[in-house]
Amino acid sequence: MHVPDGFLDARTLISAAGLAAVGLGLALREVRRHLPARRVPLIGLAAAFIFAAQMLNFPVAAGTSGHLIGAALASVLLGPAAAIVAMTAVLLLQALMFADGGITALGANVLNLAVIAPLVAYAVYSAVGRLAGESLQGTLLATGFAAWCSTMAAALACAAQLAASGVVAWGTVLAAMGGVHMVIGLGEAVITMLIVAVVARARPELIAPAATAAAPPRHRAAVAYGAMLSIGLMILLAPFASSLPDGLEHVAERFGFAESAIAAQPALLPDYTVVPLAEASPWLATVAAGAIGALVAFAVAWFVARALAAPGRTTARH
Amino acid sequence: MLRDRVLSPYQHGSSAIHRLPAGAKLAAAVACILLIVLLPRAAWGAYAAIGASLVVVALVTRADLYQLLVRLLLLEPFVLGIALLALLRPGGVPLFLSMLTKSTLCLACMILLTATTRFSDLLAVLWRIRVPSLLVTTLALMHRYLFVLLEEMERMQRARRSRTFVAGRSSSWRNSAQVAGQLFVRTSERAERVYLAMCARGWKV
Amino acid sequence: MSLLAVHQLAYRYPDGHEALRGLSFSVEPGERVALIGPNGAGKSTLLLHLNGLLPDRTPAVPAITVDGLPLVEANLAEVRRRVGLLFQDPDDQLFCPTVWEDVAFGPQQLGVREPQLSQRVSESLVRVGLAGFEERLPHHLSRGEKRRVCLAGLLACDARLLVLDEPTSDLDPRGRRELMALLTRLPIGQLIATHDLEFVVEICPRAIVLDGGRIVADGPTLELLDDEALMLAHGLERPHILRHRHPH
Repeated sequence: MHVPDGFLDARTLISAAGLAAVGLGLALREVRRHLPARRVPLIGLAAAFIFAAQMLNFPVAAGTSGHLIGAALASVLLGPAAAIVAMTAVLLLQALMFADGGITALGANVLNLAVIAPLVAYAVYSAVGRLAGESLQGTLLATGFAAWCSTMAAALACAAQLAASGVVAWGTVLAAMGGVHMVIGLGEAVITMLIVAVVARARPELIAPAATAAAPPRHRAAVAYGAMLSIGLMILLAPFASSLPDGLEHVAERFGFAESAIAAQPALLPDYTVVPLAEASPWLATVAAGAIGALVAFAVAWFVARALAAPGRTTARH
Repeated sequence: MLRDRVLSPYQHGSSAIHRLPAGAKLAAAVACILLIVLLPRAAWGAYAAIGASLVVVALVTRADLYQLLVRLLLLEPFVLGIALLALLRPGGVPLFLSMLTKSTLCLACMILLTATTRFSDLLAVLWRIRVPSLLVTTLALMHRYLFVLLEEMERMQRARRSRTFVAGRSSSWRNSAQVAGQLFVRTSERAERVYLAMCARGWKV
Repeated sequence: MSLLAVHQLAYRYPDGHEALRGLSFSVEPGERVALIGPNGAGKSTLLLHLNGLLPDRTPAVPAITVDGLPLVEANLAEVRRRVGLLFQDPDDQLFCPTVWEDVAFGPQQLGVREPQLSQRVSESLVRVGLAGFEERLPHHLSRGEKRRVCLAGLLACDARLLVLDEPTSDLDPRGRRELMALLTRLPIGQLIATHDLEFVVEICPRAIVLDGGRIVADGPTLELLDDEALMLAHGLERPHILRHRHPH
């Protein structure tokens, strides 16, 4: 999801960089004010850890493997502010040392992966964590769903930037990136849950607490920022959603699905005039698609959390 | 090891480019990238000129050109992936080519920069231009301990593999996650010790 | 005036475990003293106290005096300068991006600026036998070299007492020999916690045996380490170098 140089236009680059700077600045201030001194070196070492963890292979199929993004993992292990700083450091290193992600696009990448992703992760983690309780299963469920949501949020933000720069139509990029990351997000959720389960068993005190009602106001502020971002993104989607069906059609045409679909329909519903949902209200269709994806993700997280938290697990051969 | 070569882009050398101060090189690279990004889409002449200059710089550095090319090729797929999106709209071919060219030139810039400049020198530049100290410290510690952690990770993976008799996707996922989890625990314990070492030499946040 | 004076030092971990039970000893300027004992005896805990890293809040009544300075909150920075603590894992201590920066770290915190800074760095590196290593990267160095860079960092702060935690633990024979030669060359007082009993016999005239948080013996090395009963009683053993020693 790292955007290289040469794709985004100047207006997008500048506004993204501005937002990223604000997010990073707030996080740095929060860390300076409230993180105890003995945890400061941990941010740097955790950044190295995230980078290393991103290199782990999680084989999927036929030679391809998935990799960890790590924003949600950072949030759950470090808290949102430190996670923002750590992820920014990782992105800076990747851009400066490995040309992974552009220099001019650094603002956009930091915004997507180092500000939006950890904040959304922490907001969801806190919300679900409060509802699900402090058990290992509850924590893992919150972690998994948070990881999926943060992946989606980052992907949607990236898609918005590409569309705003005129690289590709909004409907198309939303369908392409949104769709793909719904699946990638599941992988991120499972991997993050697996890792957090190991840490929670070995050293439970290393897991950041979900912001509860009793938490200091600034933690709840982080949750609020995350929630605002999520809602903001959804509002952004609404006016553009009308082009979603066109986008899907475009993708379908490209890959030759469209004709076969039209051929199949009349035979099934000869006299029926059902107005397909997508034509009736594109916005609703987009929201429905997102909601279905979220429900699936939540269910997956629930099942995996239950399996991981089952008591007999540590004694099983691994 | 391939990973070592991929991880350490710096190629030791004593060319004129190597000896330039890091700040100047960083500024030049950023300026070049900005120029490429801001050029109009069809400025093919300009692209060619920039490309040629980069090749000249590469030759002056006397760097191992094969290594530079390998790095470039490893990064191309990501560029291609996004550029392909442009093909999804009618008449997208010129846009696709333009983005591909721009991106590749920018990549080449960065690859040349990192081949001739050490990361610790770049960090010193960031410090001088007043990037927040907390961020620079984080970058420095991250860079310092990256290789330490990667070695630890490799050792743990090897130990795990030596006891994994049934190869399969799920055991592979579990092993990798176990390694990552253990690595984090060890990392946070090491972070405590680093904190003590920093205090022992007079560090105050 | 003793270089280091410890009087009735006691420490209990937050979980209640008593790590140190009333230790008293002293080290004179230029002395090289070994600190030996089984694992869990409290050696590392003691070393962390000498640098003021433990306890979390320095006590009102100081149990430790360094060069005449009592170890209280007000003197913490100065004590940390005078007592150079060498950690067991050099990777924990060598946390800067380059050798130069790491050796310069301590002096910089003390307010030393150019050109004295670079001078101190190169002098310290020369003293540990690593002249010209300024631009090297830590992860390219051998274990022994990393240790010596850490030592250089302590020397650059003008430490009066070197406190070393298992300095030969993971060195190959050559690295070990080089370290021993280096330590004998340095005229600074040294307190060395170690399992390497041959090392103790070769370069430490005096040894302190620590077990269960108490000092059970403190005296000339040859006397203590040759006492088989004493050694075995405290999880140690009589080193081979003494078993096969022929009287000259």
